[in-house]
Amino acid sequence: MLVDAAPLPVAGPVPTPAAAPAAARGWGWVRPYLYLLPAVAGLVVWVYRPLVQTVEWSFYDWNLLPTTPATWVGWQNYAEVMALPEMHQAVVNTGWYVLGLLPFAVAVPMAIALLSRRVGGRARTVYQALVFLPMLVTPVATAAVWRWMLTQDGLVNQVLGVVGADAGNWFRNVDTALVAIILITGWQITGFAVLVFAAGLAGIDGEYVQAAALDGASRRRILGTITLPLLSPTVLFMTLMTVLLSAQWSFALIDLLTQGGPSGTTMNVYYLLYKFGFTNFDVGFASAASVVFFAAFGVLAAGLLALLRRFSFYDN
Amino acid sequence: MLTPVEPPPGRAAPTTMPEPTGHRPPWWRGIGGHVVLAVAGLASAFPVYWMYATSVKPSEDVLDRRLVPASVTLDNYAHVLASLPFGSMLVGTFLMAAAVAAGTVLTSVLAAYALARWDFPAKRLIMLLIVCTWLVPVQATMLPNYVLISQLGLLETLTAVVLPQLVTAVAVLLLFQHVSAFPRELFDAATMDGRSPFGTLVSVLLPNIRPAIAAVTILAFIGAWNEYFWPTMVLRRSDDLIQVGIRSFLTSEGNDWGALMAASGLACLPVFALYFALQRQVVDAFVRSGLR
Repeated sequence: MLVDAAPLPVAGPVPTPAAAPAAARGWGWVRPYLYLLPAVAGLVVWVYRPLVQTVEWSFYDWNLLPTTPATWVGWQNYAEVMALPEMHQAVVNTGWYVLGLLPFAVAVPMAIALLSRRVGGRARTVYQALVFLPMLVTPVATAAVWRWMLTQDGLVNQVLGVVGADAGNWFRNVDTALVAIILITGWQITGFAVLVFAAGLAGIDGEYVQAAALDGASRRRILGTITLPLLSPTVLFMTLMTVLLSAQWSFALIDLLTQGGPSGTTMNVYYLLYKFGFTNFDVGFASAASVVFFAAFGVLAAGLLALLRRFSFYDN
Repeated sequence: MLTPVEPPPGRAAPTTMPEPTGHRPPWWRGIGGHVVLAVAGLASAFPVYWMYATSVKPSEDVLDRRLVPASVTLDNYAHVLASLPFGSMLVGTFLMAAAVAAGTVLTSVLAAYALARWDFPAKRLIMLLIVCTWLVPVQATMLPNYVLISQLGLLETLTAVVLPQLVTAVAVLLLFQHVSAFPRELFDAATMDGRSPFGTLVSVLLPNIRPAIAAVTILAFIGAWNEYFWPTMVLRRSDDLIQVGIRSFLTSEGNDWGALMAASGLACLPVFALYFALQRQVVDAFVRSGLR
């Protein structure tokens, strides 16, 4: 029997079909959950269960040894976290990491992507390959090669010596250690950010630019009124990434190069709580710090996402 | 309240820049782009070059600042290969990264398929659950995970390294985007042909989302290969993984720069090889994934 074809559903971002026949077969409703089980189970076991556990431990005093009992201490760990001077220093440093990395994640890559729009073909592939390379270097090798370049008699100091400057050992000097870690982290993420901005630019419909050019708009005007506003979601996205992830991007380098020193100048919040957990075995303190930072970054993320929604000019 | 991260439009687009439109630009505009990109490219690649350049210098030349080594030797590599069990570390790291990649693809394909194909009551909740893991830093979960691994008796094993890496939100969301874009009529047609949902997944969907699967595989493999934090926690004394082995070599060798650069260079080599073989796909995978 032929039936008139119903109008095809418009393919939207979230398809909404076919639950009915599955449900009619009785056990059909279980099916989606079965497909999701491995992924959800993995996330629950390795992300959410430990998160809940961390919250619980933040109210106990425990040293990670199975033989010693954990004692309930209420909010004491939180009070200690808030009062610790090292914690204040780590929070301030984390702010410096974010500020220091923003140019590498947003300003510089955006400028590079804009300036290099007209480069095409084989040359472009080669540049892209080079710019992206640092992303692929393992943290251990990154730390090794930069320790070598920034050591007392390393290449950077030899070059600086030509103009009479002497930075000494960059990682032992209170004034330069943080700068060094930010530079190295920046070196790793710039290439990636350039590609994200290039993709953002590629996503802008050329017709707008063409129409504006036909109307006699200058290059500068096109950039200011069309390209940059349409690029603002990418800018906000990379800003969000930098704010949320700076402390994680720099973590391995801190561990390999300075362990937070000299005198705490490169310590960031995650490295501090790692130290408390795994060097001092103060589980309660580390957990309380985790909860505080998780909440703080969650609030920041929600705020930035609200901004992202409000101030983004979406194409269409 | 936490909301899902929406990728900005065009982030998943191929990484080509728009063609110049309108009037032909003056010749020097193109040059400016070349100069900027060349400087950025050199700044990015130089430390990598310097690593390999140092690694082939004889030890008396290490402090020599000439850009091209005056004489070349493989002594440093011989020293590294003699003092580290490189073969077994390579095999171990490769197996670990391959297991992570295979597991990630399996879990994320199944999840993305279910989320894109069916409507069910807990769908929004599960989506939210997956997206929000993006906000949880590893440092907030490390202690309980470490304790669980130790209770399971898995400390100092590769299984301990693999298990927590088998599911990532990025992989599920990346594949979800691709499966959602897949025409639904083809699913319905397969159902009418009498194919089971799983059969449809294998014979209809998978062949059509190969590039996305490749992206997830590459990301997971490189991510696992370069993962530093978790392996060094659960494998403190082991020589099974290249990252852990090289790390202890770095601390034990002090300032023998030639040897350190040779060891670091060797640790990067497999990923670089993969990159040169599949450059486009690798870059694409990273750009699509956001970061991590």
